[in-house]
Amino acid sequence: MSNWIPLWLHKLSSPPTFYRFAGTLLPWMMALALLLGAIGLYGGLVLAPPDYQQGDAYRIIFIHVPSAWMSMFIYGVMGVSAFIALVWRIKLAEVVAMESAPIGAAFTFITLVTGSLWGKPMWGTWWTWDARLTSELVLLFLYLGVIGLYHAFEDRRQGARAAAFLAIIGIINVPIVHYSVTWWNTLHQGSTVDIFGHSKIAWDMLWPLLTVTLATKFYYAASLFRRARTDLLALESGKEWVRQIAQREGKR
Amino acid sequence: MIRPGLARACTAMLRRDLTLAWRRRGDIAMPVLYALIVTMLFPFALGPEDTLLQRIAGGVILVTVLLSMLLALDVLFSSDIEDGSLEQLVLAPQPLALMLGMKILAHWITTALPLIVATPLLAAMLHLPAAVIPVLLLALLLATPLLSLFGAVLVALTAGTRRSGMLLALMLLPLCVPAVIFAAGAVAAAQQGLPWLAPIVWLAAALVLAVALGPLACAAALRIALDA
Repeated sequence: MSNWIPLWLHKLSSPPTFYRFAGTLLPWMMALALLLGAIGLYGGLVLAPPDYQQGDAYRIIFIHVPSAWMSMFIYGVMGVSAFIALVWRIKLAEVVAMESAPIGAAFTFITLVTGSLWGKPMWGTWWTWDARLTSELVLLFLYLGVIGLYHAFEDRRQGARAAAFLAIIGIINVPIVHYSVTWWNTLHQGSTVDIFGHSKIAWDMLWPLLTVTLATKFYYAASLFRRARTDLLALESGKEWVRQIAQREGKR
Repeated sequence: MIRPGLARACTAMLRRDLTLAWRRRGDIAMPVLYALIVTMLFPFALGPEDTLLQRIAGGVILVTVLLSMLLALDVLFSSDIEDGSLEQLVLAPQPLALMLGMKILAHWITTALPLIVATPLLAAMLHLPAAVIPVLLLALLLATPLLSLFGAVLVALTAGTRRSGMLLALMLLPLCVPAVIFAAGAVAAAQQGLPWLAPIVWLAAALVLAVALGPLACAAALRIALDA
């Protein structure tokens, strides 16, 4: 009856099924990411009116805010799949956790760079030791620590489990990043967009922001699928299904 | 039957580690010497200006102690892994977390305690007002076990790897940020004559949490790292 969902999830966690599933979904995800990204950026950079106070400089928000959301979202995904990997020892969860880390680190880096580009004209400084900036920097170091620990082991699965443990420890930083503007009185502004309530931003500026956010989500999915597929092939290189794929590719 | 056995195992573990450390007394002095030299470099680099040194003294001492502890962390499990006694500990009937807790305690006694004893000297080198020194010592007494516990978890995670020194720094320093912020906050408040109890209480709360969870996390991490 309704137990097809757990059954389907169970099947999906097997590497060959996931390889095929990710392969079919990948081009759609990438296309959606490009399309939504183009629409959102056109809406944000061209259609949206300039801000009454910040002029055109505010437009960096359309890159900065989605990246910042992704930096936390990907850490959340990484933490949850790290937990699944440690508790149930599912190989796919290890792969998802470890392949999320570089993407998350990239988004965190983009957030920091665009933030400092925005900070120069608005606050008059590239960097300040404010609670949100510092905690976001710590988030970047946590990502780098996870990546570094993963690659320090010779056995990849053991490295993945150790790094997954570190990812779980570091997850305490995510709420600190999110609530830093509420808990401390900081230079960084509080949140303007409230998903469940009234946003303090005009609709003309909000819709491109949300569109770019959706685009980053799809980009993350596409990028993760591609990385996971490569990783699965390498991890399972001795298995029959990989041999079949290799033969098929060889014949072409 | 279980209880006396457990207490005896704990004291045996503690005595073993302390004896091993005492046999190599030279190693205990190393972090202290390192901290002295680093502290000595600051007046050279910044100029011997009393007001400036006073202002930065608390933070400099905290960071110096943190870095010296980081240097000493590497050896927490390395000799036990080499001679196989760590595997024996994992197989022992006593709970691994408790035994590791004892190891961490022994490590704290042999590395952090000498540093805390040397702290008044470091403070004097940087002209920290004498009235602030008790607050600094209190902050260090709470912050160093916190660092030891965090560090032990990460050292356990890197136990199976070859070169862990720089990696350890990369992983430990971000996690130390809150401890440094609160400890330095207490010292700075005391220096300005403001109430300094709140950050100390925060540190104490974090320490209580870390004492309860740290050894458990350390045991889990060690099991992962030795699982090859």
